[in-house]
Amino acid sequence: MTSQKSSLEPPLGFEEAAATELPDPPQHSRRTVLGAVASFAVLGLATTVLGEGLLNPPSSTEDGNFSGETLEFLIPLASGGGTDTWARFIGTELTNYIPGRPGFAPVNEPGGEGISGTNKFARSAKTDGTEILVGTASTVVPWVLGRSAVKYSFEDLKPVVVNGTGGVIYARTEAGVNGIGDLVNRDKPLEFGGISATGLDITTLVAFDLLEADVTSTFGFEGRGPVNLALQRGEIDLDYQTTSAYGSAVEGIAKEGKATVLMSFGQLDGSGDVVRDPNFPDVPTVPEAYEQLHGKKPSGEKFEAYKTLLGLTYTYQKGLWVPQETPEKAVTLLRESSEKLGTDKEFQTKAGKVLGGYPLVADAEMADRVRDAYTVSNSVRSYVKELLETKYNIHVE
Amino acid sequence: MLDSAMAALASLADPSLLLMLLIGTVAGLIMGLIPGLGGTGAVAILLPITFGMEPPQALALLIGALAVVHTSDTVSAVLLGAPGSASASVTMLDGYSMAKKGQAARALTLAFLSSMAGGIIGAVGLTLAIPLARPLVLSFASPELFMLTVLGVALAAVLSRGNIIKGVSAGLLGLVLGMVGTSPTTAEERFTFGSLFLGDGLSLVAVALGIFGLAEIASRASQRRGQTENITLGGGWGKGIREWLSHWTQVIRGALIGIWAGVLPGVGATAGTWLAYGQAVATAKDKRQFGKGDPRGIVGPESANNSVEAGDLIPTLLFGIPGGVPSAMLLGMLLTYGIQPGPSIITEHLDLMYLIVWSFAIASILGALFCFLSVKQLAKLTKVPFAVLAAGLVAVMLLGSFQEGGQLGDLWVMIILGVFGWLLKSTGFPRAPFLIGFVLAIPLERYYFLTDSLYNGLDWMARPGVLVFLAILVLPILWAFIKFIRARRNTNLDDGHRNERPEDDESPLKNSTWSVAAAGIFAVAFAAALISSAQFSPEARLVPQLVSIGGLVFSGILLFTEIRTRLRARTASAGWTLDAGFAMKTFLWMTGFLALTAAFGYLIAVTVFIPAFLLIVARARLKVALIYTVALYVVLLALPSLLPIDLPQGWLNTLV
Repeated sequence: MTSQKSSLEPPLGFEEAAATELPDPPQHSRRTVLGAVASFAVLGLATTVLGEGLLNPPSSTEDGNFSGETLEFLIPLASGGGTDTWARFIGTELTNYIPGRPGFAPVNEPGGEGISGTNKFARSAKTDGTEILVGTASTVVPWVLGRSAVKYSFEDLKPVVVNGTGGVIYARTEAGVNGIGDLVNRDKPLEFGGISATGLDITTLVAFDLLEADVTSTFGFEGRGPVNLALQRGEIDLDYQTTSAYGSAVEGIAKEGKATVLMSFGQLDGSGDVVRDPNFPDVPTVPEAYEQLHGKKPSGEKFEAYKTLLGLTYTYQKGLWVPQETPEKAVTLLRESSEKLGTDKEFQTKAGKVLGGYPLVADAEMADRVRDAYTVSNSVRSYVKELLETKYNIHVE
Repeated sequence: MLDSAMAALASLADPSLLLMLLIGTVAGLIMGLIPGLGGTGAVAILLPITFGMEPPQALALLIGALAVVHTSDTVSAVLLGAPGSASASVTMLDGYSMAKKGQAARALTLAFLSSMAGGIIGAVGLTLAIPLARPLVLSFASPELFMLTVLGVALAAVLSRGNIIKGVSAGLLGLVLGMVGTSPTTAEERFTFGSLFLGDGLSLVAVALGIFGLAEIASRASQRRGQTENITLGGGWGKGIREWLSHWTQVIRGALIGIWAGVLPGVGATAGTWLAYGQAVATAKDKRQFGKGDPRGIVGPESANNSVEAGDLIPTLLFGIPGGVPSAMLLGMLLTYGIQPGPSIITEHLDLMYLIVWSFAIASILGALFCFLSVKQLAKLTKVPFAVLAAGLVAVMLLGSFQEGGQLGDLWVMIILGVFGWLLKSTGFPRAPFLIGFVLAIPLERYYFLTDSLYNGLDWMARPGVLVFLAILVLPILWAFIKFIRARRNTNLDDGHRNERPEDDESPLKNSTWSVAAAGIFAVAFAAALISSAQFSPEARLVPQLVSIGGLVFSGILLFTEIRTRLRARTASAGWTLDAGFAMKTFLWMTGFLALTAAFGYLIAVTVFIPAFLLIVARARLKVALIYTVALYVVLLALPSLLPIDLPQGWLNTLV
């Protein structure tokens, strides 16, 4: 402070400095400085070089046993979100079921809405089964859209376990919506509140396009919670919520008659057809809603796109993945352990809410079903891109 | 209701619950002390421990930590001028000024007591607000939320010390910087130049610690001797408490504003703390001391930023909508226990609700008590030569800022903003509006866009809530403008001494080549933003263009007056001063530290930088330097296994 003063008003400042503070200590000799810095540098260097080797001994994960290993979960999103909670919970539990009880190390690599971390995994993950990627809708959708920032492909990864979610579309009763029929032939289109057309909202947008519903959209909300509040305030008319949020966001206002539940997204079954969501057995699915509106079963490219997106963003939404080069033995061990975990009754009750009412799926045929679901045809890709361009004026790059 | 409340209190007599609460409180205090970790860090470290606990124990642990983080994060803001969070930058205005006058203990005492009261009032508010929360939240639609964000930036610009044009320019530039990254409305990337790193926007911690923390270090690292003023409470604790009690209305007002701001998801906390400061200034008769160590400037905001956390719990628990990362983690924890947040939580888990309320209140008291008892010790920090502190601070701040995104890029951003922050500080620009603008940029744009697309024309302007905010917004600006005109008229009489008050030793480079350069940088930055935003889609460019045009106007005025002053000034003013040289050298040291980190990893960088800086710059005794480095080295070795902290890796680490 005093030296600042001295530059502004030198004589006065100098006197003050002399009065309140001692003069600067003397300089050290060059030899002292060099000696001290050099010896510490050697200490640091030694720790870095030796420490790495001591802390990370080479792994053996093909011996049917993960003892002494650490499972590293790469969570490509910030800590605190739904995916993070999910991954940390599953990881903590899963490591107790893997033979040898490996340690668990969740690593958050937020960046580029999940793209950076996943890119990094695809580029440099270890292929011995100790590094596991947490996949979620935020990383799946940009991959489907073929964004140029995406340097990974789910076709180059092997699934260990998947966990689905579901959701419902509902409307504000006051906007004059009492059932599916009110979605079409409207004087004033319904306002849908969204976060971003290139995120999880895309499945809902494709559903509206399939149904030919009379809807306009406003994006830019912070999350689904704020959209739900905006609907209650009457700012928007249409919204969707995933199963885990249904209880807090929709159930109450639906009971009060303020909101009408219109349809659920449904779930994909083993053969790729849309069936009713076990969590909403009485709510018609999107294809059923189509039948009700148009008197025939849905078909064509829009329906194919809907089914693909349903699988990617709902039925097989969250998953644990390892690089393709991971030895088969290690993958099988991880998968079987996950299967054991998923079928454990105690775990099921404990995990009820985290899993959102959908089981952990890790049976032997899971990989094939996931492979089918994660195969996105070119026609689906181009339809979705075109929908975004023509209707929402978004050019994906 | 009372039965459940009492039952919950009785359950806290359970030693295991009390122990958890205590552990949580201590962990929260420690994490709050380290700039950059804060509430997110506290909950992140405790969350994995809670897996396997019963819900009451887990809640006591997390709430204990959450309730006190804003109590201890005041310490670095007041003593070192390095706020770890955007809301702590408010307390810094008066708290740091007070500490520099040798009254650190007084500032801390006021702050801790206010934090405690804020926490308790917050807990009471949490109880009372339960039935009111829903109508309150639903009455705030997009237009009101938009006005609230505007108010936050505007208040910061008007109320910070320094002239209003500089304040507004800084606020607007903060807004532009906050818009770097993905647009909230169209998801397109803005000002990122194709970089995925910039696509997420700049990290708040890096910006806050750069613009305030590193800038402070650079301007004070030349101090090789500590403060010599005797640090006493001046009459003991009794006097501190008495002084604090004389501001009790500020405490209550601040706490109420905090609760209200916390309840509104999204924009609350930062704007809320500023509103608390704003009302303290607006209702004070004698405003001259604000920004120079007025106790009212500490008491109000400090009680607000603790009650914000309580307010934030209301939407988290009742709607499942968290207002910040820590409460988002809390939400995740509740879900793992099968506790479904939502309106029904009051009927189904009333006992847990009250447990949260009690834990919050008790933790606030415990936390403030611990801090209060250590005031004297903490205040002694100011006796340590700043240059000696600076070495460790650089290391800790860079490490803290690395934790959020785990990217070295954040640290480079931090140093660049450190230089900019130093320039702002030295040339008399208030830095708080810059930070607030940065924080509120995205919410401001989001709610403006939603308001514009969901309402017809300007209908929203007529909403009662919006009118009230408009009034709050326009009146102080008008008042400040009148004051500015008056001040101009007066200073025009004695030509050449504009804005130059004798007590202004904070900004030694005002009215020099440096301040012309600063105004020039502002103008160029706004012009560049305006030009590069032309290629965005219409929705994405609307707000950036409005902001840059406004910024160009203000920085143009600034540049004009600066140049005119320079031309009129007859004597040559300070160009390359001793301090400026020292600050630049310090930034070079920081750059060197970061370069070492990038090459050899953080551990080696620390073992080289710390002893070198201590011996060469701080000229500390050899023994001090040795112990200092060894201690830091041991802590760094132990840290990653004790806390969820990652050390930055360098090019060398990829080889071994």
